[in-house]
This record gives sequence, C-alpha cells and structure tokens, in this order.
Amino acid sequence: MSDAAVTIENLRKTFTLQTGKGLKRTSSEVVAVDDISLSIPSGQSVAFIGPNGAGKSTTIKILTGILRPTAGSATVLGWVPWTDRKKLVRQIGAVFGQRSQLWYHLPPRDTFELLGKIYELPKNDYTKRRDMLIERFGIGTFLDTQVRKLSLGQRMRAEIAASLLHHPRVLFLDEPTIGLDVMARQELRDLIREWNKEEGITVFLTSHDAGDIEYVARRVVVVNHGKVVLDDKVSSMRRQYLGAKVLSVKYHDNPAALDFPGATIVKSSQYAVRLEVDTQVTAIEAVMEHILKAGSVADITIEDPPLEEVIAHIYSQPPQPSTGEEDGE
Amino acid sequence: MSSGITVADKYWWISLTSAKSNLAYLAEIGSRVFFLGVILYIFLRLWQVTYSETGSQTLGGLSLPQMLWYLAITESIILSGPRVAQSVDQDVRTGAISIHFIRPLSYPLYCLFNTLGERAVRFFVNMSVGALISVVFVGFVPMNWLGFFCFLTVLPLAFVIDFLGNFLIGLAAFWLEDTNGLVLIYSRMTMILGGMLIPLELFPDSWQATLKMLPFSAVVYGPARLFVSPDLAFYQDILFRQVVACIFFALAVAFVFRIASRRVFANGG
Amino acid sequence: MRTLVNYLKLAAAYTRLNLDAQLEYRGAFYSQVVAMFINNCIWVWFWVLFFGRFKVLRGWDINDVVTLWCIAASGFGLAHTVCGNALQLAVLIARGQLDVWMLYPRALLPHILLGRMSATAWGDAIFGYIVYLIFVKPDLPHFALFVALTVSIAFLFVGFSIFTGSLTFFLGNSESLAEQWRYAMITFSTYPATLFEGAVKILLYTLIPAVFVSYYPIIALRQLSLSHALIAVAGSAAVVAAGVFVFYYGLRRYESGNLMEMRG
Repeated sequence: MSDAAVTIENLRKTFTLQTGKGLKRTSSEVVAVDDISLSIPSGQSVAFIGPNGAGKSTTIKILTGILRPTAGSATVLGWVPWTDRKKLVRQIGAVFGQRSQLWYHLPPRDTFELLGKIYELPKNDYTKRRDMLIERFGIGTFLDTQVRKLSLGQRMRAEIAASLLHHPRVLFLDEPTIGLDVMARQELRDLIREWNKEEGITVFLTSHDAGDIEYVARRVVVVNHGKVVLDDKVSSMRRQYLGAKVLSVKYHDNPAALDFPGATIVKSSQYAVRLEVDTQVTAIEAVMEHILKAGSVADITIEDPPLEEVIAHIYSQPPQPSTGEEDGE
Repeated sequence: MSSGITVADKYWWISLTSAKSNLAYLAEIGSRVFFLGVILYIFLRLWQVTYSETGSQTLGGLSLPQMLWYLAITESIILSGPRVAQSVDQDVRTGAISIHFIRPLSYPLYCLFNTLGERAVRFFVNMSVGALISVVFVGFVPMNWLGFFCFLTVLPLAFVIDFLGNFLIGLAAFWLEDTNGLVLIYSRMTMILGGMLIPLELFPDSWQATLKMLPFSAVVYGPARLFVSPDLAFYQDILFRQVVACIFFALAVAFVFRIASRRVFANGG
Repeated sequence: MRTLVNYLKLAAAYTRLNLDAQLEYRGAFYSQVVAMFINNCIWVWFWVLFFGRFKVLRGWDINDVVTLWCIAASGFGLAHTVCGNALQLAVLIARGQLDVWMLYPRALLPHILLGRMSATAWGDAIFGYIVYLIFVKPDLPHFALFVALTVSIAFLFVGFSIFTGSLTFFLGNSESLAEQWRYAMITFSTYPATLFEGAVKILLYTLIPAVFVSYYPIIALRQLSLSHALIAVAGSAAVVAAGVFVFYYGLRRYESGNLMEMRG
C-alpha cells in the first residue's frame, strides 16, 4: 500500500435530473464530477476550492462513502469508500459547515460522551483523548455551557474537537469558517494548521475564503465544471494570485495621481481611491509610501481580494506572474 | 470489533442524551401540558354527565374513574408523540440524511432511540399532569404491581410501533412531493381507531374485531386499557399483537430503507 | 355608511389578493385545505360514534352537536380567511412590525387584520357549510340563520384574537399566553356548553366567552329563536368592543415608544 491517504483516478459522477410533471416529465443528465484525478499523501493539508456547483461537495461525498461514483476509482486510507464505508467511517472525521453535530440544548460535554459511545471508544482512551482535545482547543471554559449559549467561534472549536475524538486519520472540513468573525476565524485556522502539523492528520478542506486556503492548506486544488483547473502548492499560488491586496484610501484633499508599478486604480472619486496592488511587484511598505506621499490620508483599509475574484483570475488567464501593466480606466 | 454490548450501549446513550436534551427545555413542554389539562377536564365533564344520564356504573366495562384514567393515558400517549415523520422528511429533502452515513450508526436505529428518549420524557411530563387531574377529580383506580409492570412492558413497544409507522411515512419523502397529508391521516387514524377518545368497547360491536386487529389499538388502546384494568390474559393478547406489529413494521422499514439508501448512494438524497 | 362600504371593498380586495398569493402554491394550499377538512370530519365522526351509543346528552342530540361543529368551524374559518393576521397580532406587536401598517391612510386595526390569510381556515369554513347542508339538511330559514350566525361567530373569534394578542402591549411578548388562551377558547367552543357548571360556567361567559358559540347559536337554530340569536350577536359585539378597546389603549403605549426595549 502506498502512503497516499487519498487517491482519485478519473472520477466521474453524473446525476439524472427530472424536470416537468406527469407525462411531460423528461430526464436529463447533469455532470457533477467530470474527470478528477488526484493523489494526496498522508499528512498533507489540501484546500479544495471552486465555485458553487463545481463538484466539490460531490467529491467529498464520494470520498466519505455517501455517494457511489458513475465511473473511475478512489481509495481513502486504502479502502474504497463506497464498498468499505463501515470500516472507513471509523477512520475519518468530518465537519460540515453549518450542519452541527452538537446537541443544541446540551453542553458540548454530553455530545462528546455520546460520540465516545457511538465510535465505541474504550473508557480510558476516551477520557484521555477528550481531556487532550479540551486543552488543545481551549474549550474547558465552556464545556458545560449549553451549545445554544455559545458563540459561533466557540461552537466551531467544539465542533472540530468533537470530530477528532475517534482519532480520525483524515479530516474533511466543508466551509469550516463560514459566518465567523475575523478573530475567531484566525483562531480556528491556527488550530487546524497546528493539529495538522503535529498530529500528521490529513486535512481536506473546502472554502470560499482565500484566507482559509492561505493559512491552513499547503496545497490547493481548484475545480470547475467537474475538472481540476489548478493543482499547486499554496506558496506558489500565493505568489501568483494571492499577492494582490485591495486598498481603499480616503484623503483630506484632492490627492496627487497615484501611479506606480503593480497598482491598478479600481475606482476613484474626489477624495477617495480604491486600488488593487500586486505586492509581488511593489512590496506593501513601498505601496504605503506612495499613498502617503500623494496627500493627507484620512482613512485607509487593506483587504484581501475575495476568493471568487482570485478564482475568476485563474480561469481567465494562463498561470504566469501578472506584470501589472494594464492601466486603470 | 463491535461487540453486542458496546452497540447496545451506543444506542442506549442516544436515548439518554435525547432525554437529557428534552429535559433541558422542560418549560416548553410544560406549556403544551396546558392543552392536556383543558381537554382532560372537558372529557371528565363529558363522561360524568354520560354516566349520570345513563345511570350505569360501568360503560364498556369501565367505571368513571377508570374512564378518566384511561383517557389521561391515551391523551398522554398521543400528545407525547415526537414529530418523527416530519424530521425524517426534512432529512431526506435537505440531504441531511447523508450526513448520518459517515458515522458508525444505523440511521433508523439512531432515529428510533432518539425518539424513545424524547418520548419518555414527554410522556412522563404529560402523565404527571394527567395523573394529578385524575386523582383530584376521581381518585385512584385499583392498581397492583403486576399490572403496573405489564403496563411498563407494553408502553415502550407501543412507542416503537408508532415510531415505525411514522418513520415509514417520513421515508415516503423519497417518492412523494408532500408527506403532510399522510402524516395527518395516520395521526387521526391513531387517535380515532386507536381509541384515544372512546375505548374500543364503545364502538359498534361489528367493528371491534377489526379494530383490535389494527396496529393503532396496540399503540393507544392496549396500554391504557391494561393500566386501568390489569388482566394477564389481556396482557398476553396485547403483547402478542404488539410483537407481530413490530416485526411486520420492522420488516417493512428494513425493506423500504434498503431501497431508499440505494437512492441516497446514487443521488445523495 | 360610506366608510363601511369602503372597508368592505378593501376587505374584498385583500381577500382576493391573499387568495391569489396562496394559489401560487396551489398544491400546498389545496392539501392544507383538504387536511383541515378531513381533520374536522374525524371529530364529527367521533360524535356520531358517541351518539350511536348514548342518543342524548343533556338534551343535546347528534344534530345539535354536528351543528355546533359546523358553526364553530365556519365561524373560525371565516374569521381567519378574511382576517388572517388576527392570529399573528402578538408576534406583530412584539417585533415592532405595526410601524409598517401605521404608514397607510386607513384605520390601523382593520387594515392589519386583513393583511394575511390562513390557508387552513378555508378548510374550516368550507367544512362547516357543506357538512351542515349534508348532515343536518336545514330548510331555508335555518340555513339563513346559520350563515348569519357564522358571521357573528367570526366577529367573536376576531375580537377574541385581538384581545389576547393585544395583551402583548402590556405584558411584553405574551405569544404563548395568547396562544394557550385561544386554545382554551377554541376547545371549549366545540363542546356543548351545557356540560359545564359552577365556576367554569362563569368562565365561559367571561374570560373564555365560548357560550356565544356553543350555546346561544345552537339554541337559536334549534328553536329558530331570534332572541337567542340576538344574545349571540350581542356577545360577539361585546368581545369585539373589548378587543378594540384593549388594542387602542395598548397602542398609545406603543406609539409613545415605551415598548422600544422589546423591539430590538
């Protein structure tokens, strides 16, 4: 057996969609996953991204044994998910974004206890594991608070800890940071990254958030129309696509013209400028200097471009460093 | 890897957790109890008047105190029913059902034990109020430990049968656009044909054999009747019919669920 | 008189609009209506079974009880097909949603009430008229009186919903109190009032005014007695008056902003 945690070869999944009613009913075939091949070594963290309907969740469902593919093959931890589902489920953990496995009216402790029983963990092993997770995820303070009274960030931490109780070797995370505030999001990313590094667990993550991918994953796979469009290290993807920052600047007076390599004016009005900057071309410190030189700054915000934009970028151009030559309107 | 004991322990904990979770919002259950109180009072008056106008000591073999206790139990059974069909329907339509496949659990058994835990709590709360009203207005009925024990064995079976029926209707969501109609018809059949409002003995004589054969009587009438007039022969009879109904429904659930899971594996629910 | 006609026109317009909106989801609408119809039939069936055994209950026979179910269902149904928001009043007040309605150049209360339609209420309304015609087989005067009394009962239910819903002005969110009170009212309205005595009987004339559904209208129909019918109408008028008074009295607190804290 190879040390690949997940292998996928020429995976294909089509659904039959029925439209209309009665006699006028027609069925058509919808391709969710067209042809995906992938190999994920044990212990790697992979971000699986793409627009809605790209085939992300179908792939996850196949890998967790919920769906049977139309063609192709896949193994997870050496098992074929849809035939060895019962063996496989004891070795994998999953957190599905907004679908909680915690009991709403009970404290997390009760759900942990129940999960211990569901996965048939021996008492000693369970207690040791639980206490370790409580400490690592910092959930001791709200372990006995009813879930409905927890903040979303606390809830998500408990949620992920709960999915790790049974020592899974692969963890599937579907939109884990959705709805969280900036602080809680960063906390959760750090926790997942550390866990992945220290425990050597394979992490398979889908997200809409560029930050999740930058801070958690080492490898990024972009899918669209059921096919892999890009499969690369996050570090090189960052170099190519995530180097862009969006800056909104407000001035007290009419500013001087902003013109330096790597900058694109997105929008400008009398006192305000919104510009996209490629930090590979001009480092962020230099960008700030340019901005401050242009006039007396009243306010400034710096954001990452939304992931949709990054992905659109990937689809629209061949993967090569952008030169920042194009001009503003 | 999984011995019988750990599996039993697993499902027992599901029931326990579900019961605990329901205890956590007892206040909400409490407000539903108000309705039980109103309806029991009205039925008390209805039967008080009926007994006095007919001038008989017993109707359908039950005295007035027995009648009120009978109604307290049937109402408690009916009003404690969790919304099983609706939640299964929901799981099927939203695809949430597939989430249950990534844990070492059987979905039907998970639902069953979850329901039993919830229903135990709700029945206990309802029954406390029902018993209180009965004691205040008509006093106790003659009871013995054997009768009480018999009652406690048929009650869970009644809940299991009711669960299986509702679960089947919920699974129909795989094929039907709307299951609410079925749910309503099933629940009204349980109420009327199960004998929630009047004991089966007071139905027209020609119906009684059929009514007692139907599973509804094993859910409502059986346990309540056994509670107010314990009788070993009746106990054996009701137990036998419950076991038959359980086996029949369980086989049906197993069969339908197999077909349904194939659809989940093909379409994700 | 002009205003009355004016508001009747408004009611008709709203009812048509609401019905159109409901019919957008035709399948769901019809199945809800049919479900409610069947539900009511089951209760009538219970009474048929009961009277199959006992014939007469405190002077009431099966026709009286079926009449009661029909008149209560049609009255309730009529009330909430036209004034579907009556049931939502507590929620509307608690969430501060009256503001929207205050912007219109129409009297606030009737306008709010008309703003919504309950689909199941159609099932109730239709059930009552059909079953009364088929089961009791009335002659023309009886049927005319029946229809008139369902209108009176509809006013009673609307007035009662306004009354219980408006308590939210004074007690904060009393949604569940209003609901249980209404539950009690509806339940008591569907059993012969003659079953009850003493304190409960007083209750049925006051806090749970069910006698104007389950006693006077039935006697009026049985004896074709105008005086009983008038008492029923007077009872409805009193409940509506009480409801309207409590609503507008409470509204003064709402407008003065005393209720800001519970709107957040």
